[in-house]
Amino acid sequence: MKEKKEHILACLSSAPTNGRIIRTAARMADAFQGQFTALFVETPGFVLESEDNKQRLQENRQLAQELGADIATVNGDDVAFQIAEYARLSGVSKIVLGQSAAGRKKWFGKTPLTEQLISHVSGIDIHIIPDKNAEARYFPEKRKKNALKAELKNCAMTGGILAGATVLSNLFYHLGFTDANIIMVYILGVLLTSVATSHLVYSLVSSVASVFIFNYFFTNPRFTLMAYATGYPVTFLVMFLTAFITGTFAIRYKAQAKLSARNAYRTKILFETDQLLSKAKNKEEIMETMADQIVKLLGRNMLVFDIENEGLKAPRHIGTEGLTKPLENLEKEMETAGWVLSHNHSAGATTDTLSDSRYLYFSLRVNERIYGVVGIEAWRNPLEVAEHSILLSILGECALALENEKNAREKEEAAIRAKNEQLRANLLRSISHDFRTPLTSISGHASNLLTNGENFEVETKQRLYKDIYDESMWLITLVENLLASTRIEDGKMQLHKSTELVSDIVEEALRHVHNYGEKHSIEILEKAELMLAEVDIRLIVQVLINLIDNGIKYTPEGSRIRVILDRVAEQQEEGCRQMAEICVADNGPGITEEEKRNIFEKFYCGSNKVADSRRSLGLGLYLCKAIVEAHGGSICVEDNQPQGTLFRFTLPLKEMMIYE
Amino acid sequence: MNKNFKILVVEDDTAVRKLITTTLKAHEYRYDTASDGKSAVMGAVSHNPDIILLDLGLPDMDGVEVINRIRSWSNVPIIVISARSEDYDKIEALDAGADDYLTKPFSVDELLARLRVTQRRLGILHSSSQAESPIYTNGKLSIDYSTGCAYMGEEELHLTPIEYKLLCLLARNTGKVLTHKFITQSVWGSSWENDIVSLRVFMATLRKKLESGEESALYIQTHIGVGYRMLKVE
Repeated sequence: MKEKKEHILACLSSAPTNGRIIRTAARMADAFQGQFTALFVETPGFVLESEDNKQRLQENRQLAQELGADIATVNGDDVAFQIAEYARLSGVSKIVLGQSAAGRKKWFGKTPLTEQLISHVSGIDIHIIPDKNAEARYFPEKRKKNALKAELKNCAMTGGILAGATVLSNLFYHLGFTDANIIMVYILGVLLTSVATSHLVYSLVSSVASVFIFNYFFTNPRFTLMAYATGYPVTFLVMFLTAFITGTFAIRYKAQAKLSARNAYRTKILFETDQLLSKAKNKEEIMETMADQIVKLLGRNMLVFDIENEGLKAPRHIGTEGLTKPLENLEKEMETAGWVLSHNHSAGATTDTLSDSRYLYFSLRVNERIYGVVGIEAWRNPLEVAEHSILLSILGECALALENEKNAREKEEAAIRAKNEQLRANLLRSISHDFRTPLTSISGHASNLLTNGENFEVETKQRLYKDIYDESMWLITLVENLLASTRIEDGKMQLHKSTELVSDIVEEALRHVHNYGEKHSIEILEKAELMLAEVDIRLIVQVLINLIDNGIKYTPEGSRIRVILDRVAEQQEEGCRQMAEICVADNGPGITEEEKRNIFEKFYCGSNKVADSRRSLGLGLYLCKAIVEAHGGSICVEDNQPQGTLFRFTLPLKEMMIYE
Repeated sequence: MNKNFKILVVEDDTAVRKLITTTLKAHEYRYDTASDGKSAVMGAVSHNPDIILLDLGLPDMDGVEVINRIRSWSNVPIIVISARSEDYDKIEALDAGADDYLTKPFSVDELLARLRVTQRRLGILHSSSQAESPIYTNGKLSIDYSTGCAYMGEEELHLTPIEYKLLCLLARNTGKVLTHKFITQSVWGSSWENDIVSLRVFMATLRKKLESGEESALYIQTHIGVGYRMLKVE
């Protein structure tokens, strides 16, 4: 027979003996290897309880938590009913109560809690823990109102209403209405009093006073406290009872309404939190949303710590409105927060650990992974049980949202890395292929010369030497292009910029251009002087080398290549910028429209018009475009007038002051 | 003439070393070789070369370290050899005391040209020996230090004070590559980013003044990313 898992429920209360019950329930849960829940039923009258009671409840709750209980809170009037409902819905198998709950007799002789409970549930065991200190019977004290002003206000209201009722009744009397009407007026008065005041005692006083006033003013003989008619004592009694009962219910109703409103608000906050968290786009937004919601919910100051490199960043201080004073004693708080981070357990005010901090700290976590630490100001007034549970659920959601965000981010980064690896692999493959051809040529020629060198004519030998030289020069450019392209990391180009004169850059490029035997004429034309640009020298020189080399490769011998420097204004996103414009123009055959469209694509090789096929990697122009754009410039190709090709690229100019 | 020159070749890659020594032999230079930092320093001590060719990518010691050690007792000209991609090791070496640099891959012509430049510089150093001549001549360029004037041929050059200072600094170190940092520190006394940029502009205007006219001989050589050098014009 399959054993059902045991679920032990202990009832939390503010009784001093509650601790024993919790411990017993914990032991039971341990013995049965079952679930352990501690339930607190918040009655409407709970808010009126004394500080001591509330403190005791806190302690009991903490004890339950430490012993491994899940804490649950429900609201309701009828404690037994609430417990029974919860037990039924959650599959509780055993309920643990204390004897004081059993033995407490209300002065109406109300049935004790245990008996009520037994009548509501069936099939659930109820364990009653005897109370050794039975004589220390305790009554939940009502909290004394601590505001004198409120008392005065209540008195004034009571008096005022009574006075008003009396006046009205007097009027009725003189108008000749019956006693019944007058009694009704007073009952109405008591009802109003119970609505307007915040404590039962006022409606009690009011009902008693109403009876006496009615007697004094409106029963014969008037203005005495005697009544002749025989029915009056009954009338008085009934009047009193009516007044009292309506008063009590009115008070209850008010408290209930307040409770509902508060719960509705909390539910709204939770719902809002859900929505906002699902909309939040990044870590900062998530943390901010959570902090705002918690401050709204609890009305307390908060500290939010982000995690950075295994440690905590300085906290953000989020306060309720009007908070301007800075955080006191930051180191203590950081220390406590740090402890929470390393031990993954809450600490701070109102706990056993580091309780001299002002804030109560929680870790934002999903199981064992921590995403942050949050501190709630709690040293002056500790958190209520219901607040605590809602806070935990908000923190839990926030942690989940953070985990999702982190996972999404990591996935994205991994995808980018994979893409880059792919790009690199493709690049390397095509380049390795392109290395082989010139190397074959070089080794072939060299081997030939070694073995048959003496038999060759001078002309042949010269040709072979030249070929070897040309191929190796080509390889050098290839290697430089390759090195430049390795500077693309994470999709971005790593630039080492320095400020240089544009004319210096062009001169340097020309030094490295392979103008084989001076078959082409290359000249520089400076239309604007002293242009400074912030560039990565190696890369821009490589761009120029590529452009000029292309000019040499793809035009017949004797063609002329010009490099023209000028200053232009270019329209960019941020507005109009001064740019240095460098044009490389040749008067060769030019290139077709189709080629112009595709020429900057990766690995695109135009159709070779030149007879002796110069290999092109096709990478050169793609790289040029990437480099120029990484510098904030633009590159394009157009036809040269009257014939040929013109490559034009721009670089942002750097303006500077010269001090003599 | 070259037979009088002894060159110490420090290069760990055998192929490159052979290339250099073959070239030197073909041009009748005398040479010794070393293939790591320690033997380089030893070689400098024992052979007392006139020029040292130092590769920066040595296996056991940083090239700059070698330069520091040698510079502690000797002013022998050092030409460093480095790979093309990085500039800062060249600049570091020059700031530590090297005179010139070669970038791989280099052609033998370049190598020989660099050696000649250094030879000429040594020639000037030896001839002018102790007293510094009040007048500097280099081709058509002449500088009279005492009056603070510079002439191209017969015409006086109109230079601003800073341009004059720059010209004198380059002239006193003819044949040697001076880094931007070195120049700005000597002329301005500091090397802020701004000063280095101003240097470019001043150099450009100075060159224009020197090289206007029919001759346009190259006096000031720009080494982009590294510095400048005044060449001895034949």
